[in-house]
Amino acid sequence: MAVNDPIERRSFLQAVGLIGLAVATEGLTGAARPLPAAVRVTRPGPDDPPIPNEIVQKIFTERFQNRPIQRGHVTLDVAAMAEDGRYVPVIVESDLPMTADTYVKAVYLVVDHNPDPLLTVFHMTPALGPVAIQTRIKMKRTSWIRAIAETNSGELWADYVKVETTLNGCG
Amino acid sequence: MPETGKTRVVVPERIQRGDVIRVQIVVQHPMDTGLFRDANAEIIPAYFINDVQIHYGDEQVAQFEWTTGISKDPLVSFQLRAEREALLTVTSKDNRGKEYRGSAEIKFATT
Repeated sequence: MAVNDPIERRSFLQAVGLIGLAVATEGLTGAARPLPAAVRVTRPGPDDPPIPNEIVQKIFTERFQNRPIQRGHVTLDVAAMAEDGRYVPVIVESDLPMTADTYVKAVYLVVDHNPDPLLTVFHMTPALGPVAIQTRIKMKRTSWIRAIAETNSGELWADYVKVETTLNGCG
Repeated sequence: MPETGKTRVVVPERIQRGDVIRVQIVVQHPMDTGLFRDANAEIIPAYFINDVQIHYGDEQVAQFEWTTGISKDPLVSFQLRAEREALLTVTSKDNRGKEYRGSAEIKFATT
């Protein structure tokens, strides 16, 4: 019995240590990090992600002249956890009409924390069907992705998804 | 050996006039960001497609602005109204000025 004691004690301590570690990391990653309040420039809705940096602000100024962006009519479909930042599949869909008079003239994809946040712009015409774009993008790190549809009358509709990623796909 | 710029345009086999069809484009391209280094710690220069134009017959129906944020061997699909029989052509240009082209015939099923 006395011979076994140290081993039991060690394995017990190891087990306790593992549980402790698990609780500690849970506490660290689970804690909500406050978003910087100073960078709110345009008027996001209550659940919209704030403008994270000047580059994204510049994109919104140059491309949209800071017109308000409303949430709705656009669905951005991305897995909340991207395993490989080099290939992140995204689907952007919209129920906005595609007729000769009213149509979506462009779809923008913005990844807040990429080196080049304005990732792509799809310029469209009414010859296309309803917006249902699929592609694969790169992500540098955990970031909000913004899918913004611009109608020919200048309205801006958007959807946002925060995607966690660990493997840097941008360098 | 990858064939840089090889473009495939995929459309459904059976199309009827007026159908909304899914068009898929696959272009072989490294889409290097210019931020990675090779085994000798040399920067791999940025090399990527930045402009894609879609023509349906003579009409330009779409234009895409791309950056290095599009994954290697870009793959994009979208919906098109098949209103007439014509060639759907995809022309892409990269930042070294090279131009690549691929196409698919939009033809209506006879039955």
